[in-house]
Amino acid sequence: MITTNHLLENLDPRTKIVSFLAVILCIILTPITRYKDFELYFLLILSLTFFSGTTVGRIFRRACALIPFILAMALFVPFLKEGQVWWLLKVGYWKFPVTYEGAWTFLNIMVKSSLSILLFVLASSTTTFPDFLKGLDMLRMPRLLIMLTSFMYRYIFVLIDEARRLMRARAMRYFGLRYKEQFSVVGYMVGVLFIRTFERAERIYSAMVLRGFSGEIPCVKRFKLSYRDFLFTTGVCILLSGIMSGLIYKIGSIKISDARVWIGL
Amino acid sequence: MDRIIKVHNLNYRYPDGTVGLNDVNFEVDAGETMVIIGANGTGKSTLFMNLMGVLEGTGHVEVKGVTLNRANLKEIRRGMGMVFQNPDDQLFCPTVMDDVSFGPANLGWSSEEVTAASQKALLLVGLEGYGSRTSYHLSFGEKKRAAIATILSMNPNVLLLDEPTSGLDPRSTSKFINILYALKAQGKTLLVVTHDIFLAQEVADRVLVFSEEKRPIAIGGYKEILADTGLLLKHNLVHQHRHHHDTLIHEHEHRHGYLHEH
Repeated sequence: MITTNHLLENLDPRTKIVSFLAVILCIILTPITRYKDFELYFLLILSLTFFSGTTVGRIFRRACALIPFILAMALFVPFLKEGQVWWLLKVGYWKFPVTYEGAWTFLNIMVKSSLSILLFVLASSTTTFPDFLKGLDMLRMPRLLIMLTSFMYRYIFVLIDEARRLMRARAMRYFGLRYKEQFSVVGYMVGVLFIRTFERAERIYSAMVLRGFSGEIPCVKRFKLSYRDFLFTTGVCILLSGIMSGLIYKIGSIKISDARVWIGL
Repeated sequence: MDRIIKVHNLNYRYPDGTVGLNDVNFEVDAGETMVIIGANGTGKSTLFMNLMGVLEGTGHVEVKGVTLNRANLKEIRRGMGMVFQNPDDQLFCPTVMDDVSFGPANLGWSSEEVTAASQKALLLVGLEGYGSRTSYHLSFGEKKRAAIATILSMNPNVLLLDEPTSGLDPRSTSKFINILYALKAQGKTLLVVTHDIFLAQEVADRVLVFSEEKRPIAIGGYKEILADTGLLLKHNLVHQHRHHHDTLIHEHEHRHGYLHEH
């Protein structure tokens, strides 16, 4: 566990997983038309960033790496969703109608996923991956899944290194001739990598068996919930229910009679 | 003295028919450090895998009076730990602490016992404070030491170390030798596979030489074995090389730590 002065980094991973999931759940369940709520969620995330060791800028930069993927998925929704035409996109001869429903859905996806990504980035930059896995384990996530994930985390870099060594060895003896034959070389490399991985897996398994592994995955508890964890969770829950119930922002003052249609989005 | 390990007529063939071990016989005393030397591919690591019951050969293996068979595997592995040559195979958990506590946790110890044993093991190998580090980011020497800690935390009586100093720089090697001395002082029985004659000289009570026929060819005190240059040369354990003395170029076998006449 990291020990720093920053609240978020010192919290038990379970606390972070549960309260961040709660925030994400609330974000997802809030209708997009209650846009003032999203401002509040955004403020909540910003203030959480204040309690982490990172800066707002760093969180945004890391989030920006993920948002394009969501954008790529959501980009076509406005054109594909049927409904009342709101705007006509003309590209030369073609016309693409954008519907009200489509635009709302697009906004819905973008706002909610961007906020969730910000939270995710915040969580991942204040929790190490092993701690995150332990948190999931203590929250009763199936051990087998956790073990698989931890193996992946442990060996993905080893594998990448191995692949890199192979590539380097090839590059040093490749002088640019017979371009087409290089494809078969790549094929061999993939094969070699597979066999090495397979054999490594066997060795790892024997290393595990020799240390008493019999299929049951042991767990050593190393985290304790402190008063900070309770305070944090309670604080987040109070804020969330405040936002959801509209107490924090007098949501009742916003007349959105037409928009009630979109609440089901 | 108690014979802690007895190996009689142990044979092993790999699934593809290659002979792995060819009629191996030897015995190890309790508290003894036996260094097993031999060229590459002479069956040293295969022997370890057979002693731990990972590979099943034919013949008789006895550890602390218990015959090795499938029913006794757990009991035998409880008292005997093996450190693999490649620490990346040994360290499979996200953090060093997870790895070191894997064995004891599997033995069903309580969380407190596991933590205490793990910390003790890390202290012994000089890696205290490394618990939360990711194994991938350790240096090779640190990985090697972490790998031995994963076994020490289970507090075995017998340790099998496969090439413990291979790939280590001189300082890491000497650190490792200090760890071996500490283990010897605790009365552990050590079986160490190595090509490193220097390591044998440092820690061995007895030396077992494996030949290319995949069996022990000589066994004895390290002084007599290491003095038998003919034997070492024959089994590819000392290098014969040419070198210069001003204008004179000559060729002779060469052993570290031994003076030679010119």
